[in-house]
Amino acid sequence: MCGDGYAAVAERRAMEVKTIVDECLELWRDPYPHLARLREEGERPVGVFCSYTPEEILHAAGLTPVRLMGAVRSLTHADAHLQAYCCSLARTDLDMALAGDLDYLEGAVFVQTCDTMMRLSDIWRRNTAFPYHGDLVLPIRMGEEVSLPFLEEEVKRFRRGVEEFAGQRIWDDALEESVHVYNRNRRLAERLYKARASGAIDGLSAMACLLAGFWMRREKHNEMLHELLERIEGAGAAAGEERVPLLVSGSVCTTPDLFELILELGADVVDDDLCCGHRYFDAFVDESSSPEEALAKRMWERVNCPAKHQCIEDRFQRLVRQVMDSGAKGVVFYLQSFCEPHLFDLPYLRQRLQEELEVPSLVLESELQSFSRGQLRTRLQAFIETITGV
Amino acid sequence: MSEDVRERTQEEKADRERRKIKSAGAMRELMTKYYLEAKGAEGTDRHIAWITSGAPVEPLIAFDVIPVYPENHGAMCGAAHMNVELCEVAEGRGFSRDLCSYARGDIGSAITKGGPIGGLPRPTFLVACNNICNTVFKWYEELARFFEVPLFIFDTPFVRGDLPEHLAAYSVRQMHEYVSFLEEMTAKEYDEARFMDVAAKSLFASALWKEVLACNEHRPAPMTCFDAFILMAPIVTLRGTQEVVDFYQGVLEEMKRRIEEGVGILPSERYRLLWDNIPVWYEMRNLGKLFMELETCLVADTYTSAWTFEGVDAEKPLESMARIYTEVYLNIDLERMADKIESLATRFGVDGMIMHSNRSCKPYSLGQYDLAKEFTRRTGKPALIIEADHTDSRWYDRAQIETRIRDFVENLLLPQT
Ligand code: SF4
Ligand code: SF4
Repeated sequence: MCGDGYAAVAERRAMEVKTIVDECLELWRDPYPHLARLREEGERPVGVFCSYTPEEILHAAGLTPVRLMGAVRSLTHADAHLQAYCCSLARTDLDMALAGDLDYLEGAVFVQTCDTMMRLSDIWRRNTAFPYHGDLVLPIRMGEEVSLPFLEEEVKRFRRGVEEFAGQRIWDDALEESVHVYNRNRRLAERLYKARASGAIDGLSAMACLLAGFWMRREKHNEMLHELLERIEGAGAAAGEERVPLLVSGSVCTTPDLFELILELGADVVDDDLCCGHRYFDAFVDESSSPEEALAKRMWERVNCPAKHQCIEDRFQRLVRQVMDSGAKGVVFYLQSFCEPHLFDLPYLRQRLQEELEVPSLVLESELQSFSRGQLRTRLQAFIETITGV
Repeated sequence: MSEDVRERTQEEKADRERRKIKSAGAMRELMTKYYLEAKGAEGTDRHIAWITSGAPVEPLIAFDVIPVYPENHGAMCGAAHMNVELCEVAEGRGFSRDLCSYARGDIGSAITKGGPIGGLPRPTFLVACNNICNTVFKWYEELARFFEVPLFIFDTPFVRGDLPEHLAAYSVRQMHEYVSFLEEMTAKEYDEARFMDVAAKSLFASALWKEVLACNEHRPAPMTCFDAFILMAPIVTLRGTQEVVDFYQGVLEEMKRRIEEGVGILPSERYRLLWDNIPVWYEMRNLGKLFMELETCLVADTYTSAWTFEGVDAEKPLESMARIYTEVYLNIDLERMADKIESLATRFGVDGMIMHSNRSCKPYSLGQYDLAKEFTRRTGKPALIIEADHTDSRWYDRAQIETRIRDFVENLLLPQT
C-alpha cells in the first residue's frame, strides 16, 4: 500500500516536472508570441541583449526586462542597415524591430560590449520609434580599481534615464527589493545547476528552465524554479545509459536545437560557459551597500565575458576549473559567426584545452538567417564519436 | 616615332613629373630610417612598444621608447600584396577569416617574421587603446600571450553626445596610470618638461597636418586623399618628434607652392569626392588610375583627419590629451559622425561620397548605410558604398567595383532624389 503511494507521488511529481519543463521549452523555441501576451496582461516589457544589463533598475521601475536573443528568420528589413558581416543576433533582432514584430516593447537597452552592439544602438534609435532607448557604456577593464568609479557613475546615469522615461523616481527601497528578487533568482539558478550536476535533471531541461526567466517577471520565475527544485532535488539521478559529458561555451543559444541534439546523440551538457547560462547568474549583488554601487560592483567582479578584459589568463583558468569540476570530456564552442570577442579567444583556449587537459573541442558557428539543424547534427555526431572512440 | 608624337610624350612626362608630390621621397626616407632604427633596436636595451594607431604615443616618445605600429605595418603588407599569406598563417592557427585582417596579418607576421621588411622588432611591452575599436584589445591580448610581455590597456568607453565628466575622469586616471606603467617598464622617472616638449611638438605637427589637408579645399586639389594616406604615416607613428614637425613643414610648403602655381594632382579635375573608411591598400594603384581616368579627385576623407588634435591645454597636457584621445572619430555616435562628414563635404566642396564598407572594421563600417542616407539628405549629394576589406584581397571583386564606381561617377551630375 505504502509503496504504491510513493510510486503515485513520484509519478505525479514527474508529471509536474514535465509540465514545467515543456512550458519552458516552448518558450525557448519561440518566446515572441508569449512576449506579446505579456503586454496584453499589462506588463511593460523592455528588450535587453546582454547579461551586463542591470535588470534590477528596470524591474524597480515597474518594467519587465526581457532578453532578445535573435530568431531563426530570413531578413526583410535589416539588410538595409547592417552589413552581412555582423552577427546574426544583431541582424535578426533589428529585423524584427524594423518589421514591427516587437511593437509590444517599450524599448530596449544597449550595453556596450562589442563594436556591433555599440553601432546597433545608434541604428536602432534612428530607425525605430520605441518610447524608450537605454544606453549603458561599460569599461572593458573590469575588476581593476581604475574603472569602478566610472562604472558606478554609468549605473547612476542609466537609472536617471529609466526614471526620466518612467516619469517618476525609482525609490531606493524599491530597487533594494528588486535586487533581492534577482539575487534570489541567482541562488535558485545555482541550485538548478547543482541539481543538474547530481543528475536529477538533464542539461536540456535545466537550460530551458533557466532561460524561461528571460521572458517573464522574475518573481514568477523564482516561484517556478522553486516548484521545480522542490520536486527534483534529492531525487537522485535518473537511471539510464551513461551519457558523454560535454561543456558548452559561447554566447547565447537562440534555440534549444543544440542541447536537444546533444541529448539525442547520447551526450549531455554538464556545465556551460554561456552568456545566457552560467555567466548570466554568476556573483550576487551585495545587499548591504547602496544598490547602485552594489550593481556596479557585481558587473565589475563577476566572471567577465570575452568582450571585457580582466587579466589575459582568467578565461582559460576558469574553463579548466569548470571542465575538471564537471567532468566534461569535450567542449563545444558555440558562437555567432562574425563575433570578434569570442573568435579571438578560440585558438588559445582550444590549443590549451587539448595540450594541458587533453580535452578535445568543437567549434560551431551559428548564423540564424541560414540555420541548419542537419549540419549541426552531423558535426556534433562526429565530435561525440571521436570522444567515445566509436 | 614622329617628331610631334615624341614631343607630346616628352611633354606628358614633364607634366607627370611636375604633378608628382616631391615630399613622398622625404617621407620614404623618414620612414625607412624609423624602421631601420626600430629593427636595429631589437635585442638591445632600448625599449620597443607595439602600440595601436589611436593610442597616445606622446608618453612613449617622452620616455624614449620606440613605438611600433602593427596597423601601419599591416597597411604596408597590404600595399605590398603580402598580407594575405600572413593572414593565412594566422588562419592556420585557428583565427577566423572574419577577424580584422590587420590583426590576422600581424599575428601571422609575428609567427613567421614575414612581410616586406621581415616582420616587426620584438616588443618589450604593448599598449592598446580601444578608441578605434574593441578588436585591438583582443588582438593585443593575443600578442601579450605570444610574446609573453606586459600589456597596458588605455580604455576609452564610447562617447554618446558630449564627453561626460565621469568618462573624462576615467581617461585622466588612466593617463596617470600609463605614465606609472612606463616608469616601471623603463625604470625612468617621468620628466614633465620633456613631456611638455613632446606634447607641444605633437600638437604643432598635427596643426601642420591639418593645414596640409586643408590645402585640398583648393581647386584643383594639390593631392588626393590617397596621397594623404601615404603622407600620414609620420603623424601616426612619430608625432612628438622634431623630424615630424620638419617633415610636415616641408609638405605644407610644397602644397602651398602647388596651389600658387596651379598644379593639381590630376591632369584634369572634373569631380571631387569624399572617401570614407580605411583605404583598400592593395588596390590603391588601380583605383588611383581609375579615378584619374574618370577625372575624379578624392579630395578628402574621414580617416586622415583623425590625427588632427584640437584643444590641448598646454598647462595640463596629460589631462587634455586624455580627453582628446577619448573623443576620436570612431569612438563617437553616428550623429556626430554625420556632422563631421557634412562639414568635410561643405569645406571641400565635394560632389559625392564613396564609402568603403570594410569587413575588417566594424566600428568604421556598421552604420555606413545610415550615414550614406543622412549624407544625401543633408547635402543633396549621392553616396556609393563598395564592399571590400582593407588588406584581405580575397574579398575584393575588382570588375564589379570598378563598374560600380564608373556608373556612380557618370551619374554624379544627375539630380538626386
Ligand atoms: S554575439 Fe558577439 S558580436 Fe554579436 S552582439 Fe554578442 S558579443 Fe557582439
Ligand atoms: S578593427 Fe578597424 S580600427 Fe580596429 S584594428 Fe582593425 S581596422 Fe583598425
